[in-house]
Amino acid sequence: MYAIAIHGGAGAVPRATLSGEREQRYRAGLEAALDAGYALLERGGSSLDAVTAAVRVLEDDPCFNAGRGAALTREGAAELDAAIMDGRRQRAGAVASVRHVKNPVELARRVMEKSRHVLLVGGGAEEFALEEGFALVPNLYFRTPERLSQLEHEQRGERVSDLVPPAHGTVGAVARDRDGNLAAATSTGGMTNKRPGRVGDSPIIGAGTYAKNGVCAVSATGHGEYFIRAVAAHHVCAAVEYRGLSLELAIAELLHDILSGLGGDGGLIGVDHDGRIVMDFSTEGMYRGARDSSGRSEIAIY
Amino acid sequence: MPHRVTRLLTSLALAAAAALLAAPLTAAEHPIVIVIHGGAGVIERSHMSPEREASFRAGLGAALDAGFAVLEGGGAALDAVAAAVRTMEDDPQFNAGRGAVLNHDGICELDAAIMDGTGPRAGAVAGVHHVKNPIDLARLVMDKSPHVLLAGQGAEEFALAQGVLLVPESYFITPERVRELEQAKRSAAERTPTAPLPLRPAAPRGMGTVGAVALDAQGHLAAATSTGGLTNKLYGRIGDTPIIGAGTYASESCAVSGTGQGEFYIRQVVAYDICAMVLYQHLPLAKAVDTMMHDKLTRTGGEGGVIALDHDGNYAMDFNSAGMHRGVRDSRGHREIAMYRDAN
Repeated sequence: MYAIAIHGGAGAVPRATLSGEREQRYRAGLEAALDAGYALLERGGSSLDAVTAAVRVLEDDPCFNAGRGAALTREGAAELDAAIMDGRRQRAGAVASVRHVKNPVELARRVMEKSRHVLLVGGGAEEFALEEGFALVPNLYFRTPERLSQLEHEQRGERVSDLVPPAHGTVGAVARDRDGNLAAATSTGGMTNKRPGRVGDSPIIGAGTYAKNGVCAVSATGHGEYFIRAVAAHHVCAAVEYRGLSLELAIAELLHDILSGLGGDGGLIGVDHDGRIVMDFSTEGMYRGARDSSGRSEIAIY
Repeated sequence: MPHRVTRLLTSLALAAAAALLAAPLTAAEHPIVIVIHGGAGVIERSHMSPEREASFRAGLGAALDAGFAVLEGGGAALDAVAAAVRTMEDDPQFNAGRGAVLNHDGICELDAAIMDGTGPRAGAVAGVHHVKNPIDLARLVMDKSPHVLLAGQGAEEFALAQGVLLVPESYFITPERVRELEQAKRSAAERTPTAPLPLRPAAPRGMGTVGAVALDAQGHLAAATSTGGLTNKLYGRIGDTPIIGAGTYASESCAVSGTGQGEFYIRQVVAYDICAMVLYQHLPLAKAVDTMMHDKLTRTGGEGGVIALDHDGNYAMDFNSAGMHRGVRDSRGHREIAMYRDAN
């Protein structure tokens, strides 16, 4: 059994405000990411490669809040965070607050594979990227007219009516490959109008991203501060490992009891040891998709 | 919907817990406890002159007493851990604040985190260069911002906006740390350039990092940790200290602060995992800490130590390195400072 699930952010996605054409674009973007990851699994590729490929596609798609099209800081710049974790060897890599790396998930992977560290931040992360031969891109590469207008609305204190990509979007993927290896990856631009230097849950191993073979792989999206305080992704794995909860129950408890109790909302996707996929959220909607070798295939928003 | 059942059970459990908490407790029944660490690593008698040992003991004692004084005065665990950590940040012997280790570029990059088990609330800063007491800035992030973690220049902008006085980079640098960096660079240069970086960085005086956990008279727990990280670390490297769940964690039932090879602590989510074993596997705190340090962490090759404290005042100070600077003081009259393996 091999399986992959992806998310493109959770938030208020009222059906009425999402035009048909826009909805088609999101669905096509999710489909492309799912295809990229699933194709690798089908050919016997690793879950680590599959989640990297899926997240890279979402980073390149300006619809989603990661890579190109990321939400902007209050100074109008993109500051990107990403993390990846290999459930097989419990290795992890992450980057935070990078401004010139086209695909932050690839840099996170490089941190995992080529440095002795787990988390690199800011200018130091970009120095490492250069040493590793990454071509940096100007910060303007990431900025789209939609995100700029979203920032302007937010700064004027207006609610964004035609709410586009969710305000605390974030993209992520989890997968189980033929060999039973689990992996998770997450990438984001963070919150619109965030303070420069703010780091959310995405690059925090245990909060927004976690994977452990034999247990589960989890990627989160939502109000990052709450996910950090709850150590969300590891909480889910601990509930499965220590209490024997099903992944479905573990995720439901985290979202609907613990995070709701704290006042935080968002969504999580996970895959367990048997390849069972769970996608749940406490917001109005979550851009998401799942596909597995038993024939399951779905894309959903609401 | 099966999860509704869980939700109901959880609500019942919470109600039961609330009833227990509401039971009247006199101050005498509620112990107050503070536990601190000043770093783990190669801390052995054979490497330590009597003067240096005495000086470390004095530094640990000062931090322990600063934190305990807060608790004794009826203060909050949160204020106690901040006071203890601030004392060690100001003491150049410890790898935090002044006297922190230097990164590859010869400057200090400081990380800190604080967590209030009630709430829970948390604040953290990473990669700051000019903040005298990073633990105080972490506290401000928790109290005065909607965020949990601020990094680098953004964190220093926030410090200025909060009226925190910045200090020059030279404030933190001590001659001893400059020598350590030179040593580390020499030994790094001796390796062939193509050789992979060692997973175990050379740590002549060990993995510094300071931290504290405390239980106050109201039964609240808190944890705080502060560090300069690793000598000769890559610019921008962040360890476990400011990562909630890895190097620092507190809930209503358990508080943990870690010191050691941060990368291993992040991957294992060490601080939270100890609390999860206590809560979900019903292990006694000491057993959970023992499992983490001598089984889980040791198996992955990670080295270091932790201090942990539970709601009843049970504590653990454990490590799989040669030694750990540590101390504990409680309202039952127990006061202990140690640094070697043999409980001294």
